[in-house]
Amino acid sequence: MSEKSADNSMGPLIDKAKADKAEICWDRLDEQSPQCGFGKLGICCRICAMGPCRIDPFGEEADCGVCGATADTIAARNFARMIAGGAAAHSDHGRAVAELFIAAAQGKAPGYEIKDEQKLLQVAMDFGIPVENRTIRDIALDIGKTALSQFGQQEGELLFVKKAPLKRQAVWKENGVTPRGIDREIVEVMHRTHMGVDQDHRNVLLQGTRCALADGWGGSMIGTELQDILFGAPVPVIGKVNLGVLKEDEVNIIIHGHEPLLSEMIVNVAQDKEMLEYAKTKGAKGINLAGICCTANELLMRRGIPIAGNFLQQELAIVTGAVEAMVVDVQCLMQSLPIVAQCYHTQIITTSPKAKIPGAIHIEFSERDAPGSAKEIVRRAIDNFPRRKGKPNIPKEQMDLIAGFSHETINYLLGGKFRGSYRPLNENIINGRIRGVAGVVGCNNPKVPHDELHVAMVKELIKNDVLVLQTGCAAIACAKAGLLLPEAAKQYAGSGLAEVCEAVGIPPVIHMGSCVDNSRILIAAAAMVKEGGLGDDISDLPVAGAAPEWMSEKAISIGHYFVASGVFTVFGVTWPTLGSQALTKTLFEEYEQTFRGKWAFEPDPVKAAKMMIEHIDKKRKALGIDKARERVLFDMQKRRELGS
Amino acid sequence: MEEKKEILGETYEPGKPTEPYNWRKKIKGRDEMLRYLAASERYWYSKEWFGSEKRKNPA
Repeated sequence: MSEKSADNSMGPLIDKAKADKAEICWDRLDEQSPQCGFGKLGICCRICAMGPCRIDPFGEEADCGVCGATADTIAARNFARMIAGGAAAHSDHGRAVAELFIAAAQGKAPGYEIKDEQKLLQVAMDFGIPVENRTIRDIALDIGKTALSQFGQQEGELLFVKKAPLKRQAVWKENGVTPRGIDREIVEVMHRTHMGVDQDHRNVLLQGTRCALADGWGGSMIGTELQDILFGAPVPVIGKVNLGVLKEDEVNIIIHGHEPLLSEMIVNVAQDKEMLEYAKTKGAKGINLAGICCTANELLMRRGIPIAGNFLQQELAIVTGAVEAMVVDVQCLMQSLPIVAQCYHTQIITTSPKAKIPGAIHIEFSERDAPGSAKEIVRRAIDNFPRRKGKPNIPKEQMDLIAGFSHETINYLLGGKFRGSYRPLNENIINGRIRGVAGVVGCNNPKVPHDELHVAMVKELIKNDVLVLQTGCAAIACAKAGLLLPEAAKQYAGSGLAEVCEAVGIPPVIHMGSCVDNSRILIAAAAMVKEGGLGDDISDLPVAGAAPEWMSEKAISIGHYFVASGVFTVFGVTWPTLGSQALTKTLFEEYEQTFRGKWAFEPDPVKAAKMMIEHIDKKRKALGIDKARERVLFDMQKRRELGS
Repeated sequence: MEEKKEILGETYEPGKPTEPYNWRKKIKGRDEMLRYLAASERYWYSKEWFGSEKRKNPA
């Protein structure tokens, strides 16, 4: 096993990249080291041209910037801007979905249709849109327009906020952070963190909190819910994961990024008989689609398309020499992809007008002719098959997994068609078979061994009877380690959790989708609260969150909306506010008083898991479910006494 | 002599499922969908439920 990754497929490919003179992210990290200590601590300010300024963390030199901004202000501005960047990314994804949704409802987006009428009705009721005696298209058009209006809304509250537990809504109101409109909250963060505006770190952070909530309960939720209507709410599906899913004798097309809008169409085109025949004329036996990052998760959840890998495998997929085309949309795309591809035959194809990369081919996605764009892409990939440079080097590693656990599916699996329910989950938490629930999400980061932290943390959690919910690259990491299979319960989970998993037929680690689908975890938490028996608020639940290998601004936004929703959340790798004791104290301590959720930083994944378990136990104690209680069978006399 | 009993094996088919378990197809037609939502997603779409926000016995 390579010291750079827990995944056995990675070491030989990293060596191959070196032999092929393909520079990859670990090489660039070496060139960047040592990294800027001020930047790491969050106390470097380059917001105006009087700077860049930096604060001496040891208190020996400058204690404020040219404008007078202190370490607290600078760190709070940087942190809030990270939230705004993450919220913008998720929310602009949600907006793109809403725009396509409207076009589909108007019949102006060939190839797209409303696939999930039940989810359509559900979201219509969330938005207060009448459904009686109305056609699917009419309802869809209203949903699309209402969703789009959430971005530019100036007053009031976002509509999905009312799905949160009532007590949580009250906490947000008390603290003045209920999000009004998605774009408004992002813009206000950018304004307040401009030079010379908001200079109270707590106040800056409050707007950051409002912005994060506009992401989780706004932009991300719109993305998830509208994609479910358009492409179908996920149901349990078996899939395969890791670079071994690439096929030596087929045209391999990798789909990478976060928005599945065009990729859904590529899936259809790749199965087209005409295209398969065309591939045969070029010597290929078929067309093999595989995904990387969250576009992969989206297509796995809804279509069962295999996943080639997570964030840190994007360059190495090309190094296999087996990939004819890598089709990218938005987010988490390394600019180095076309440079690595120069060593091989792979074509990098950008598809979004928002994300172009020098050296890549650009085939723009247009909702008015998505099948046309998809055909052009697939044809290009097929034409590239004969240009392979020698025999590809595809690792043998691949693993089965079960995905498709939307909130709706969990609710159905636990309760059935007559009355879906979270009751069995709550009861098993109350009786102690399940100790609690943890969300382990987020990215990869080359500063730490790839996948190792995810897998170590999740194994520790399930060993201690904590059910784990996952999204994003974290889910892919654990899937590769075989943790997303029902049989993993017997092998890795504690006896209580294993018993429940066996009874329901689920893995101990549940794949809930892409990074916008963290909104599904919010809904699951709200359902647990509303079902009863575990308190009145998300902050009462024995739950915790983590991102042990995080790297992106999106992860900070996700973490912060979980904290602001009442969840104890621990991040690994590095923490971007350590240069300000006051801001760090606000996030790590004061937020527990105001928002009943807080941040923590712990780079050791097992120690972090123990912190989560400790928090879960604290919540169990507060709920009075920390000790096993003797079960008393009530006879008729005792029942009569109860009624008197 | 004790009668020989036939032992029934697994009632499920061996192997891995190749198709997704599309439970949503079981719910057909708008009326049934609305009924399902009212019953199963009752936390948000019905008043006929008890839980943390609507207690049978107030705490």
